[in-house]
This record gives sequence, structure tokens and C-alpha cells, in this order.
Amino acid sequence: MKLPDLISTGWAEIRSHKMRSFLSVFAIAIGIATFFYTLSVLSQRYRDIDRSAQISGKGRVDTFIEKPLSMDQYNMLLRTLPEGSSLSLRTGNYITNAIYKGRVLNDFAIQGVLPSFQDSAFVFDVEGRFFNWKDIENKHRVAVIIVYPRDKEKRDFTRYLFHEPGTEQTPLADLVKRVNLLNQQISINGQSFTVVGILRAPTVEKDFRIARDMEHNQYIFIPYSTWYDIIPSWRDYFETFIRVVTGSESKTGKAVSSLSSFLRSQFGSDFDPIINPFRFQLKFARQQAWINLRSMIFIGLIAMIAGGIGIMNITMAVIFSRTREIGIRRALGASRWDILFQFLVEALLLGLCGAALGMVLGYLAILHMADNADQMTFSWWVVAAAVLLALATSFVFALYPAYQASKLKPVDALKYE
Amino acid sequence: MVIHCEHLVKVYKTAAEFRALDDVSLDIKKGDFISIMGPSGCGKSTLLNILGLLDEPTSGEYLLNGQPTAHMKDGLRSRTRRDHIGFIFQSFNLMPKLSVLQNIALPMRYGDMPRSEILPRARELLKRVGLEDKADNTPQQLSGGQCQRVACARALANRPEIILADEPTGNLDSKSGADILELLQELNRGKMTIIMVTHDEKIAAGAQRIIRMKDGKIV
Ligand SMILES: Nc1ncnc2c1ncn2[C@@H]1O[C@H](COP(=O)(O)OP(=O)(O)O)[C@@H](O)[C@H]1O
Ligand SMILES: [Mg+2]
Repeated sequence: MKLPDLISTGWAEIRSHKMRSFLSVFAIAIGIATFFYTLSVLSQRYRDIDRSAQISGKGRVDTFIEKPLSMDQYNMLLRTLPEGSSLSLRTGNYITNAIYKGRVLNDFAIQGVLPSFQDSAFVFDVEGRFFNWKDIENKHRVAVIIVYPRDKEKRDFTRYLFHEPGTEQTPLADLVKRVNLLNQQISINGQSFTVVGILRAPTVEKDFRIARDMEHNQYIFIPYSTWYDIIPSWRDYFETFIRVVTGSESKTGKAVSSLSSFLRSQFGSDFDPIINPFRFQLKFARQQAWINLRSMIFIGLIAMIAGGIGIMNITMAVIFSRTREIGIRRALGASRWDILFQFLVEALLLGLCGAALGMVLGYLAILHMADNADQMTFSWWVVAAAVLLALATSFVFALYPAYQASKLKPVDALKYE
Repeated sequence: MVIHCEHLVKVYKTAAEFRALDDVSLDIKKGDFISIMGPSGCGKSTLLNILGLLDEPTSGEYLLNGQPTAHMKDGLRSRTRRDHIGFIFQSFNLMPKLSVLQNIALPMRYGDMPRSEILPRARELLKRVGLEDKADNTPQQLSGGQCQRVACARALANRPEIILADEPTGNLDSKSGADILELLQELNRGKMTIIMVTHDEKIAAGAQRIIRMKDGKIV
């Protein structure tokens, strides 16, 4: 029998047993919906991680030391790094003393950064300006403040828990929402700073940085060199975040070895910080995305097996009720293959219906359950995978009953009442 | 010789062994019209099913158009059934959900005929049995005699040279039965080989030769 005839025969059979067909289609659809949902969310996560990799630059290496690094050390280190590398240093956050027009600010951190901070994972819109190397050289008293979008704000109840009467304080986040601080003066540790730039962070949905870069602290950035200038003299504990972007994955190894030998040359041969190529972070983020969703895949698999058993059950029942039909077809010249194909095609059609229904259900699930559903873009490979999976399941489970049907002897099938 | 059988035996292994066919030898020439008669259970259908390649003998030799059939694989057996043999059954065995036209088209769907030629030929066959106005009816909407005419048209679909009819008039009134016999005789005049099982002496008399069976043997 030719394929169009097989399809129309199968379709007629499916339509003449609507309830029975619906039940097996439904079971398949649940499985497909789960897969469609999971794969869509997963591919979206992977795409975000890829975008994160793009904005982070190629060949990035991160480390963190509990020591200060001077600008001289910065220049020495930069010279040992592969040609064309960007090196960014960032201090820890200890200064928490800031006043704006007599109001004591709280809930923020001050970090010293270099202009090279902009070279990687810089997702901000800049109003005013960011720092330049003159600010670093001259230890300018300038500041740049991050403003997060108003929407999706989480309430911080600890603010009220630790509230001490008589010490009225203004959270910086609240201040920057009410007042445009650009070109205003803030006093930090008793010294006056001019706000020269406002960094506007994107909304959470559009922020493609991976978790490591995505601190949502309220920061006041000041030039790296200025930070060391105003650091309290009693402090003997420092943090420096070091970030190198080499521009090419092949230079990562060299960057790691230069970095570690430089740090040893400065802080002793037993100094051994953990130096992470950023691609491990990305790999970890991918693994995490998979771990978060793999139980869903398992549920989908169970549903697919249930659907497959449904198809198998129905195909078996159909073969009992159509034994005589099989006999007639055999008498008219159908071969064993013709009978086998007929039942397989019928099961594949059920699977196809299951895939279609499943994708509709999966789509609805995404609209109502997934984070940032509006960002979700549907890939053809997910659709193709869903269809293939449904077809493969119905094929595998229909194979045994269809084989049994094809094995019936023509006379026996014809005598069947 | 279209059909040549030697020492055909069919044994059913139920509680005891049962010889439904016991050493049947038979030669049928092209263009013969044979009717097989005998009491119920004497093995007529068993013989016909073996001749139609729906069943296999336990032992003995069966040559169809000079070809031994004993070791034919399913593919070849099915093709031979499709292209050389047309079946007519007592209970019509039409597909209840298919229209009359689609029922007649069914054997051609298993063949190599281009799809576009199938329905025109089915219509032509339907006209030949005088039911062209029933093309879109289902078998349930037809009388027994009409159903059997549809079954005849279906049997002719792939232009077989042998028609095997197992009590084709068994479920029909005598008028319809006579019509079917007439149709078979007309086919026989067109050099078709016809083997018909029947209980009815009058119908059997319409054939050129009558073979009588008893207890699995030709007598
Ligand atoms: N599949 C079977 N298993 C056991 N016995 C069978 C089977 N088919 C037919 N028989 C027996 O073989 C004998 C011949 O049957 P059949 O050829 O159908 O007779 P009839 O001449 O009435 O057409 C009968 O006694 C029947 O009971
Ligand atoms: Mg019989």
C-alpha cells in the first residue's frame, strides 16, 4: 500500500474511534508538553548563558586575593599578561560612611574600580561618564552610582528589623530613585565626591550576566587609586578582585600562569589563589541549568512511557477487533509488511497528534509558569525534537502489536468472528 | 495446467489429529468452471483456502501456473494472491466502513497501479456488475445480492485468471444466487478459471464439471 493510502486508512480509523484515540493522544501529549516546556526553558537558559559569554569577552580569567594591589603592581602585572589583554581590579567594600545633604546613607557598598571595568560584562547605560585613566592617575574625588530599574523590587525587611531609633538613615536605593544625583556632591569618609556618572542597570530579564557578575548590591564606584587613598589606616584586611580578558580562549592558559607567577612573586612562593577561567563558570552555569530541569525530563519520560503503553494497549485492542479485516486484506493481496505498516502508520499518526497537542499544552505552560516567558524564543530544533520523540515513542510501542498483527495467518484471521 | 495438486493432506492438530484433507489430487485447466460439492465439514473450504494460498497443506504438492507453492515466501505468496486470484466469500467480507467504490478499489491499493487509475477502474467494474449508482453507499445500505456483486467486482480488480468462490450464493435468495451464477458464467466465457464451492445442486449444475468430496477425499 502506498503512503497516502496508509495515512488515509489510519486517519479514518482514528476518527472512527474518537474517545479511544483521544486518550492515547492525551497521554503522549502530556509527555511532549513536559519535554517541550523543559527543552524550551533550557534552550533559553543556554542562549542567555551564550549571551553572557559574549558580553564577558573571550578568554576571561577571574581571581580574588585578600591583599591590596598598588597601581605599580597593576602595571607590572599587565606587562606579564598576553598581548592585548584587559586587566581590571576592583576592591572589596568596607567604606560605608556616606552623607548626602546631611542625610546619612545606608544599604550600599563602595568599591574602587578601574576604567577597564567597562571591558567585560558591562551591561549598563551610562549617564554622564565612567572613570578614565586621568581619574586614576590624579586620584580624583569622583563617584559613579548604579541605579537599578524600579520594577521587580524586593522589599528588604531587615531594614526595619535593624532600625535604631534616633539614627535616621536613608537607603541609597531609595535616594537614587527620588533624586538625580548626577553632578551632586556626596561626602565619603569626610571627603567630598562629585557624582560624574549614573549607571543604569537593565531589568533582570534583560540582564544576561551570569550569577557571578550579577550582584544586585547598591554600589557607589570610586576610582581604584582614590579608594586606597581614603581607606581607614587601621585596616589590615584587603580584598582585590582581579579580572583579565585576553580576547582569545587560547591565551587563557598563559594568562592563568602569568597571573599565578606574578602573585607568587609578590606575596611569596606558597601563595596559591584559585584562578578560574570564566569558561568554567559558564560550564557550571550550564550544568546548573540542566540540573534544575533534569527532573522535569524524567517526569516527561515517565509520561511518554505511559503514553507509549497507551498506544500499545490501543493497538493491541484494535488488532483484536480488526482481525477479520486483517484477514480480508490479506486475501486481497496485502503482505505481512502491508499489515505491519498499516498499524505503524496509524500509531505514528496518533503520536503526531500527541506532539501537536503536547506543544500547545507546553506553550501554555511556558506562558503561565516559566520566568521571563516574554523573552522566550521558540527554536525549531525543540519543535523537531518534540515531533521526533512522539513519533519514536509511538513507533517503538506499536512495533510489537503491529508485528503480532502481521504474523496472523490469513485463514485464521478470516475465520475470526 | 493452471492448478495441479498431488496428494494434498491437511491435518489439524486439535485434541486429536484431524485430517480435513486426505490425499487430494486435482488438475484444473485454464478456462475450467468447476464446482465442488459435499456435506458440511468435508474439507471444501480447506481445499479452497489452500488453492488460494491463504493456507498451506500439511503435505503434498501444489503447483499454481506450474510454480511450486510450498516454499514461497510471504511476499511472493501475497503478490500471487493479489495478481492471480480473486476471492468471493459466502459472507461477502466487504469492509463495512468503506464505500462500495473504495471496497472495489482496495485490492488495487495493494498493487502497483498508479493511484490516479484506481478509482476510474473501480467505477468501471461497478458498472459491469450493474451498481454504478451505489458507488458512495456503504455495504450496510445494500442488499445481500448487491453486496455479493460488489464482492465480485472487487475480486476482478487486479484482473486475476482464477476466481475462488466459497459458497457465493449461500447467503442469497435464489434470484440473486442465479444472478451471481450468471455473472460467474459470463466471466468463464471470458476464459477465466472458476472454482466454486456450493451446496446447491442447481447452482452446481451451472458449472462444466462437478467435483464431489466426502471426509476430506474426492469421490
Ligand atoms: N482451524 C481449524 N482447526 C481445527 N479443525 C478445523 C479448522 N478448520 C477447519 N477444521 C475442520 O476441518 C473440517 C473441514 O472444514 P471445512 O473445510 O471448513 O469444511 P467445509 O467443507 O464445510 O467447508 C471440519 O470438520 C472443520 O471442523
Ligand atoms: Mg466451508
